[in-house]
Amino acid sequence: MNTKRTIAIFGVTLGTIVGCAAALPPQDLVTARNAYGRAANDGSTAQRNPRDMDAARKQLAAAEASFEENGDTQGTRDQAYLALRKTEYAEVLARTARSDEATGATVDAMHADEKKTVAGTAAALARSKAELATQDAALTAQNVTIANGKVALKDEKARREEAEKRAAQAAADLAKFASVKQETRGMVITLSGSVLFVTAKADLLPAAQLKLNDVANALIKEDPLSKIVVEGHTDSQGQAAYNQDLSQRRAQVVRDYLVSRGIAADRVTSQGFGPSRSIADNNSAEGRANNRRVEIVVQPSTPTQ
Amino acid sequence: MNSILYVVMIAAPLLGACGASFPPPTQRLADAQSAERSAREVGANDAPAAQLSLKLSQDQISQAEKAMAAGDNERADALLIRAKMDGELALAQAREKTASVDHKEAISDSADQKATNVGQGAVK
Repeated sequence: MNTKRTIAIFGVTLGTIVGCAAALPPQDLVTARNAYGRAANDGSTAQRNPRDMDAARKQLAAAEASFEENGDTQGTRDQAYLALRKTEYAEVLARTARSDEATGATVDAMHADEKKTVAGTAAALARSKAELATQDAALTAQNVTIANGKVALKDEKARREEAEKRAAQAAADLAKFASVKQETRGMVITLSGSVLFVTAKADLLPAAQLKLNDVANALIKEDPLSKIVVEGHTDSQGQAAYNQDLSQRRAQVVRDYLVSRGIAADRVTSQGFGPSRSIADNNSAEGRANNRRVEIVVQPSTPTQ
Repeated sequence: MNSILYVVMIAAPLLGACGASFPPPTQRLADAQSAERSAREVGANDAPAAQLSLKLSQDQISQAEKAMAAGDNERADALLIRAKMDGELALAQAREKTASVDHKEAISDSADQKATNVGQGAVK
């Protein structure tokens, strides 16, 4: 009786122990559960790699089912091992994807930065180009000014040459009938009083008018900017005041006649000197004849430039 | 006594037939070897984590080959499934290492480029 009871108790205990031993999960399964739990807690793995996380979950479920059904068998341990490795696989791929994303973002930022730099360089280049264009335009304008200056200089030179030519021609024309001298006060045309006037009068002789026409024509050919002074001179016979007045009137008459022949009025003035500027001896008839004269002084124009 | 004999007589050929019916897992062997080779080719030997997985894959392939030689095709099959998974993991770990190196290089390149741009007068 006692022995039977003891055997019965032993049998129950043994059964319990065996049952307990069967209920303990293999180390591989414990490790797989922990690994999967860790990966599942970190949401980023499931988020980045849901497909492999799902495969790991199914594999763990298969390991659990195998353990449930068969206990700690080699098959259960194989399934648990695969569940662990699939979990790790899902994690590795998720981490790789995260690295790739970060690399992509870094490269994108680098490209954006490069683009900005290129744009900045292009803008600076455009500014330099604009500055160059402005400088170029300024240079062109300077060149035009210089060219214009050269043209003006050439024109002025031509004008002077023309004036000199005309003066020479005028002098040659006058030399045919009058004394023409070049003095410091200008070109002096001397006309004898007897040729121009009736004695003691200020009326022009008809022949004088022909000569003065020639003079006027010559003066018109002269430099149009030159000033002309008509000077009247007498000999020393008679009263000084009378001679002064006569010389003044004669000068005036010649001046007016020249103006009537086309010489600009503002170019010509007249002045009487009486006998004060004798050029010959008043004691001889010939000397006095030379002293009675009209001098037309052409003063060269002062250079304007 | 007789009944036990019967059972043994019926069960023995069944068990034998069962053992003999599991074909050699040649396809699984090829798959595992392929995974192991791929892992080596992408540089699993150069990354510590990948190196460990690769070693496990190789060990299990060689255990499976021994099991096949001993006629235990079923065990070999299970080992080759594990070996293939380890080979695939080794490959993924090698790629993870490469991705990490790439990221570090990109950061370094980016810093270099910034310095160059600033040197060329770029506006930060």
